[in-house]
Amino acid sequence: MNLKKYLVRALHRLQKGPGYTYKELLVWYCDNTNTHGPKRIIKEGPKKKLIWFFLTLLFASLVFWQWGILINTYLSYNVTSSLSIGFKTMKFPAVTICNANPFKYSEVKPLLKELDRLIEAALERILQPTPGNSTENVSLPLDLELWNQIPLVLIDEHDKDNPIILDIFETNQTNCTYRNFSSAAQAVTEWYILQSTSILSKVPLHERIRMGYQAEDMILACLYGAEPCNYKNFTQIYHPDHGNCYIFNWGMDEEALNSSNPGAEFGLKLILDISQQDYIPYLSSAAGARLMLHQQKSFPFLKDQGIYAMAGTETSIGVLVDELERMGYPYSDCTVNGSDVPVKNLYSQYNTSYSIQACLRSCFQNHMVEICGCGHYMFPLPEGVNYCNNEDNPGWAYCYSSLRSSIKQRQICIDSCKETCNDTQYKMTISMADWPSEASEDWIFHILSYERDMSTNVTLDRNGIIKLNIYFQEYNYRTISESAATTIVWLLSSLGGQFGFWMGGSVLCLIEFGEIIIDSLWITVINVISWCKGLKQRRARARYPDAPPTVSELVEAHTNLGFQHEPVGAPALPPEPGTPPPNYDSLRVQPLDTLGPDSDADAE
Amino acid sequence: MAPPGPEGGRAATTAPGKKITARLKRTLPVRGPQAPTLSELMRWYCLNTNTHGCRRIVVSRGRLRRLLWIVLTLSAVGLILWQCAELLMNYYSASVSVTVQFQKLPFPAVTICNINPYKYSAMKEYLYELDKETKKALETFYGFSEGKSKVRRSVDDWNSTGSDFFEQIPLLKVEDFSRTATELHSGQKRKIEGSVFHKDSSIVNSGDSNDIIGFQLCDANNSSECALYTFSSGVNAIQEWYKLHYMNIMAQIPLEIKEKLSYSAEDLLLTCFFDGLSCDKRHFTRFHHPLHGNCYTFNSGESGTILSTSTGGSEYGLQVVLYIDEADYNPFLVTSTGAKIMIHDQNEYPFIEDIGTEIETAAATSIGMHFTQSRKLSKPYSDCTETGADIPVENLYNKSYSLQICLHSCFQKAMVESCGCAQYAQPLPAGAEYCNYKKNPNWMYCYYRLHEKFVKEQLGCQQICKDACSFKEWALTTSIAQWPSVVSEDWMLRVLSWDKGQKLNKKLNKTDLANLMVFYKDLNERYISENPANTLVILLSNFGGQLGLWMSCSVVCVIEIVEVFFIDSLSIVLRHQWQRAKKWWSGRQQGRAARATASDVERQGHENHACVDEDLPTFTTALRLPLPQDSPLPRTPPPNYSTLRLETAFTEQLPDTLELSQH
Repeated sequence: MNLKKYLVRALHRLQKGPGYTYKELLVWYCDNTNTHGPKRIIKEGPKKKLIWFFLTLLFASLVFWQWGILINTYLSYNVTSSLSIGFKTMKFPAVTICNANPFKYSEVKPLLKELDRLIEAALERILQPTPGNSTENVSLPLDLELWNQIPLVLIDEHDKDNPIILDIFETNQTNCTYRNFSSAAQAVTEWYILQSTSILSKVPLHERIRMGYQAEDMILACLYGAEPCNYKNFTQIYHPDHGNCYIFNWGMDEEALNSSNPGAEFGLKLILDISQQDYIPYLSSAAGARLMLHQQKSFPFLKDQGIYAMAGTETSIGVLVDELERMGYPYSDCTVNGSDVPVKNLYSQYNTSYSIQACLRSCFQNHMVEICGCGHYMFPLPEGVNYCNNEDNPGWAYCYSSLRSSIKQRQICIDSCKETCNDTQYKMTISMADWPSEASEDWIFHILSYERDMSTNVTLDRNGIIKLNIYFQEYNYRTISESAATTIVWLLSSLGGQFGFWMGGSVLCLIEFGEIIIDSLWITVINVISWCKGLKQRRARARYPDAPPTVSELVEAHTNLGFQHEPVGAPALPPEPGTPPPNYDSLRVQPLDTLGPDSDADAE
Repeated sequence: MAPPGPEGGRAATTAPGKKITARLKRTLPVRGPQAPTLSELMRWYCLNTNTHGCRRIVVSRGRLRRLLWIVLTLSAVGLILWQCAELLMNYYSASVSVTVQFQKLPFPAVTICNINPYKYSAMKEYLYELDKETKKALETFYGFSEGKSKVRRSVDDWNSTGSDFFEQIPLLKVEDFSRTATELHSGQKRKIEGSVFHKDSSIVNSGDSNDIIGFQLCDANNSSECALYTFSSGVNAIQEWYKLHYMNIMAQIPLEIKEKLSYSAEDLLLTCFFDGLSCDKRHFTRFHHPLHGNCYTFNSGESGTILSTSTGGSEYGLQVVLYIDEADYNPFLVTSTGAKIMIHDQNEYPFIEDIGTEIETAAATSIGMHFTQSRKLSKPYSDCTETGADIPVENLYNKSYSLQICLHSCFQKAMVESCGCAQYAQPLPAGAEYCNYKKNPNWMYCYYRLHEKFVKEQLGCQQICKDACSFKEWALTTSIAQWPSVVSEDWMLRVLSWDKGQKLNKKLNKTDLANLMVFYKDLNERYISENPANTLVILLSNFGGQLGLWMSCSVVCVIEIVEVFFIDSLSIVLRHQWQRAKKWWSGRQQGRAARATASDVERQGHENHACVDEDLPTFTTALRLPLPQDSPLPRTPPPNYSTLRLETAFTEQLPDTLELSQH
């Protein structure tokens, strides 16, 4: 019962809005609200009232329109970028060094012997001025098994529609597709790569590592800043394209090195030997060291970002770290660590971080495994899959080349991979000079050869030696960082600014407005109830001649002291002298106030 | 809004007109300000305005406090004005956004030229005279001769054939101090007149080099006006001098013949490989460059399709092996060997002589690209042009606008205007002809004068031309490896010779070959764009914020201020003036007696507010009117019963509403 009483009381309180009719409520609202327009509507004369009414409406609609624009702007999640350039102590980039040639020819010769003989014989035939009527004078019998899998052919395209295909060794082939090249040099290289890939994929990894260049053979001298370093400071990694690669400052086991000074004196200085004499002749025609600067704990994709260093030169590389720091979702579609990318990252077995190149290659390899049933030699393997070779997967080369040239497959990979939010690039300023100079050549080669194998024989020459200087430039970073252009604070202050600018309003005004709506709801409720009641009463006392006063009439009578029930035949008021009585509330205030306590008392 | 002044209306209208105005006044009673004087208007404004501060001025008691509030309010107004001015001034600022998109990228056009423009063997017949004289000059000045017999013969020829070149522009050996020159041709010494220009450096060590070599250009019409161009090194002088004559000769050869004289696609390109697939000369478009002969553009977009790359890395880019026939080079025109390449957009003209990258022979040049696209906002944010249509310089190149195009076109235009013929290195404007000695003997002098003006920015080209608003840039990382490697050299050269075809019987030399790889390092496209930092909506929001912060003001307040301070005050002042004028007029008309009544009227108007005009009081004025004492309202006091009934109605309804709210 107590509760009910409490509720009744609460209801009473609520009921007592600032007015009893809509009009009164509105007038009260306009008079007392803090927004600027409405007050003027009720305080001015009729003409100005109209103007102010339309002005207020206009301003209100302007406010809502501009609020819409502002909220839209906020939801578009724009960013602003800020650029900073300067020098600071930074982590020295990881430096990956490889030889352009993956294996020592002296080591892989036994494996590639057959292939080399084949290609030599094939070249012999191709290069004869008239390939048709050559005389067989190949002394050694050739192993044509390799040949039969992927033969080299000559395509005579003089007649465009019926190209004549000449097999160099005249073996029978049916049901094939031909890849044609405009140049024999390319065709031979591509063919050799396909064949050697197939052969080498069968060799176990530790064997392949042994066949590649060893760190102590390749890295002759190393100096970082003022501190000496040697080949032991390099981490070995097996790279499918380039064999053994060595990474300086990879940051996997130990802390990354910092560099706090610009200039060549404080950078990394290396002397390398690429021993060009030991190159596989048909595999790589360009000679030099391949190197790449990359972030710590990221996999070096030398084919994409790597640069060459030429033998017999000193190559100086000034580094500027170009960073782009982006906001993640919803500002831009990038990934922080690759965990939300639907491609299984195969490079995670190297313990490296996500990168878009890793994603694309993993995506390709996954497709390759799916379609061809084996993995390509150039990319890491998913679990439980073997590398392709001609014996186990006779059709792999065809499968691979059709997959490689398939636009659709590439598009799928591009769509499913996302770029990383923090993009770091190393901008390099590369310059070269001849090294060693003719005057110093002798003693430098002598010392370096002696250090390598403790013998006085000079084992180095201009075709193998490379000097590298890698250092930070005077300005070593350029960072573009994004920040949200529109925050929630910005949104609120802009909303407030708009509301304030047009109408002088604030959140409290919105609450006031809500209050008025609640009040008018109450009035509606009361009206409905009293109307129902009136209906009941009318039925009960239908005998009364005139209709009982409506609620609005009652209220009007209550508020307007001059109000009179319109009697049917009431005599017209005598014409008022002078000014008519003002039709408003200033007069009304007194009686209302006096009534106030009364009604309160009544309610309780 | 306000009807015409009451006096004027009355004077002009007849009886029905008066009726209409009366009715108008009744229905639309607001006219003019309510307050009769300015100070009252101010007081009314301060009490009723929505801005904070003003009210405090009026309400505060005590002079100090009022002063304080006046100062505070004024400083708030000042702050608002200052801050809003700042906001307005910063309206046209731009913010930069950098977006990175990983996507399939269009491959740029790659233009490849041999550094040597024309085959020397084919050019022999045109350049025979010139070369002979150059050799002669070399021998005379430096004692250099290729072979005794050759020189002997050329000296013999010398006497028989007249020399056009030396007559027109002689090479001179200048003795610096005496200012005399030895002319190569006649060997005679003569005094130099005219100004001396050091072409390649402004600082010439005059102490040591008492023989500076150079040439003199004279105005053909007025031979006393000459300009002498000197060089600190004979290498530059000879090359520059050779180039002048060379351009003169080339200008007379028609384009078709020049194209034949230069390298064909088969000559230049040995192998081509793009995106893992073989390509050939059909993928290249020929383009004749005046200084570099035939150049070939890969992926020029002329066939309608632009190739694109969907994988980064060196295997998926363009790989070409170029044949640079070093033996067939022009010894005086070009002194370096190799090729020049440029990476540009399909719509861009390749200014290969200005910004080309040189390619070494016997090496593999690997060029990694990174694509950046930039876009600036045009007016009023910055002074750039979108299409170049608003630049008053005709675009002579058949490509989209760039600053370089504009400058070159501008210079060519000036050249045609002042020298009457066009410079050889740039395209021809309509109706013009390339300069040559036969038709325009004066052109060289004119050209050098004009070029000097151009460099010193006196032609106005640099002022007219604006940079383009959007541009694409391919940042290149170039590195070089030895190619072919020692062990692969043998078979590589054999196979490439075979590729070259049977007609070339000699085996290729590795210094005749250059390997070029152009590829995308990654497919991240950086798009740097400027965006307006402010929109109108944000500007208004900021205004609103400032107005609200300092004074809780809004547009409504501004309208109020306009209304009160301008319209109302003005009308009050005008009314006073009017009344004074009326008074003065009536005083002049009726003398003293009338003036008394006029002042009566005025006083009455001041005291009785309702009586100021014949207007009805408005809402607000009525509020301030004293209640008429003598006429009590002919009304009964409110019936008490109605309120009671109302209350009872509420109490009776309570249970229902309760139920309603509970349901």
